[in-house]
Amino acid sequence: MKYNLWFGVYDGKEVKLSENFEESFLKAENPSPLPFNVSELGMQVLGESYYRILRKTALQVSEKQVERELKREDRYVVALVKALEEIDEAINMLNEKLEDIKAVKESDITESFESKIRELRELRKEVEREIEDVMKKIAPNMTELVGAKIAAKILERAGSMEKLVRLPASKVQVIGAEKSLYKAFARMRKGKKAKIPKHGIIFLHPFIRTLPKTKRGKMARFLAAKLAIAAKIDYFRGEVDENLYESIRRRYEELRRK
Amino acid sequence: MKELMRNVYLKDGTLVTKSKYGSHYGEKVFDGFREWIPWRSKLAAMILKGHRLKLKGDEKVLYLGAASGTTVSHLADIVDEGVIYAVEYAAKPFEKLLELARERDNIIPLLFDASKPWKYSGIVEKVDLIYQDIAQKNQIEILESNAEFFLEKGGEIVIMVKARSVDSTAEPEEVFESVLRKMGERFKIVNHGSLMPYHKDHIFVHAYKSE
Ligand SMILES: C[S@@+](CC[C@H](N)C(=O)[O-])C[C@H]1O[C@@H](n2cnc3c(N)ncnc32)[C@H](O)[C@@H]1O
Repeated sequence: MKYNLWFGVYDGKEVKLSENFEESFLKAENPSPLPFNVSELGMQVLGESYYRILRKTALQVSEKQVERELKREDRYVVALVKALEEIDEAINMLNEKLEDIKAVKESDITESFESKIRELRELRKEVEREIEDVMKKIAPNMTELVGAKIAAKILERAGSMEKLVRLPASKVQVIGAEKSLYKAFARMRKGKKAKIPKHGIIFLHPFIRTLPKTKRGKMARFLAAKLAIAAKIDYFRGEVDENLYESIRRRYEELRRK
Repeated sequence: MKELMRNVYLKDGTLVTKSKYGSHYGEKVFDGFREWIPWRSKLAAMILKGHRLKLKGDEKVLYLGAASGTTVSHLADIVDEGVIYAVEYAAKPFEKLLELARERDNIIPLLFDASKPWKYSGIVEKVDLIYQDIAQKNQIEILESNAEFFLEKGGEIVIMVKARSVDSTAEPEEVFESVLRKMGERFKIVNHGSLMPYHKDHIFVHAYKSE
């Protein structure tokens, strides 16, 4: 048996001391609980200064990790959301082709199509789960307000957390509606009638969808304002503010009763 | 001044911990004490609701969901001769936790995912107490695996449960019942209770590991 410890590797008899504690700290993984206490063994090897060295190593490793994490996590979500959209398109496309083929003739090939589509749906679920996990971590307030899916889509459209926190609430409210906005403008240019979209991605939120049409605008504005605040707290502090969710829930109840 | 727990006092109606350190999250500091704000810390709320922990001060603690260290800072005042392994996976609040860990010598900061205890199994020692406040759907499973890796027999557990994090559609009472049932299968529950008015739809559960 070999045990990976932050200060080295233990084979049950001897400790091979690590030459670089920061490296061994990050490799101190073991599949099951250690049958001994790591601090007792460590003190036999490192003596009185065990905790001092452990703490120093943890601080050094953490400082580097934090910097790296802060830089890349929102980019990771952006990439995942883009991937999710591509997967959706691929599924739709394959489904269409499958229907086309089936309409002409039942054949073995249709089963291959079906199993590909199933695989893609599995992948889709996996990507969605990952987006949820990461969003909870890097944007807990946004996720609490509108759920990971909507929050991630908004982040993707903004491009990064840094860009998102610079957007005014009015922009957050319509983010994601750009496509229909351009379409509407294009129609108007051609002299046709068109509706200007009032809500973007946040329209998917149940607190908006379940309200009567006349009240949706109000709720969307309120939600967007709180969401803009949530993004800022997520970006600058990263801690959940319980009052945010309470406030949108109260506003929703108010509008529903009126 | 009334002593409620080791290094924890009620001073003119305000909960405080005895501390030689400065303010960490905007709490007031006066001659050797730091105000412990129950609206900010669920552990403070638990104590003000009348529940106590028996701590001697030299305990080893595994703290899951340390965030920026609000509660960790007070727990570090209490176990001033012990060690706190503070696990947090979000980088932003962790930055602030690092500031705290640089100033205190009894906090080991760990930027890890608490749902993967094997990743820090060669770092964290056997502990006397696991404190968990992570607001996750699967928080009991996360607790169980950490207890299996690190908690001594007879070791204590304190967890904070937020109903909406476990199930956003069910009634809080139902959520709490199911959490207590699940915890009771593996651990001996000592006490539990609400954190009102400080934290809405939250409970604490205090338990220990019997086998
Ligand atoms: C309610 S806050 C904790 C507040 C803190 N205990 C205090 O009182 O000062 C919950 C924290 O748990 C963290 N968390 C959630 N899931 C986690 C996981 N799997 N591993 C590590 N930390 C996690 C979140 O990032 C968040 O900072």
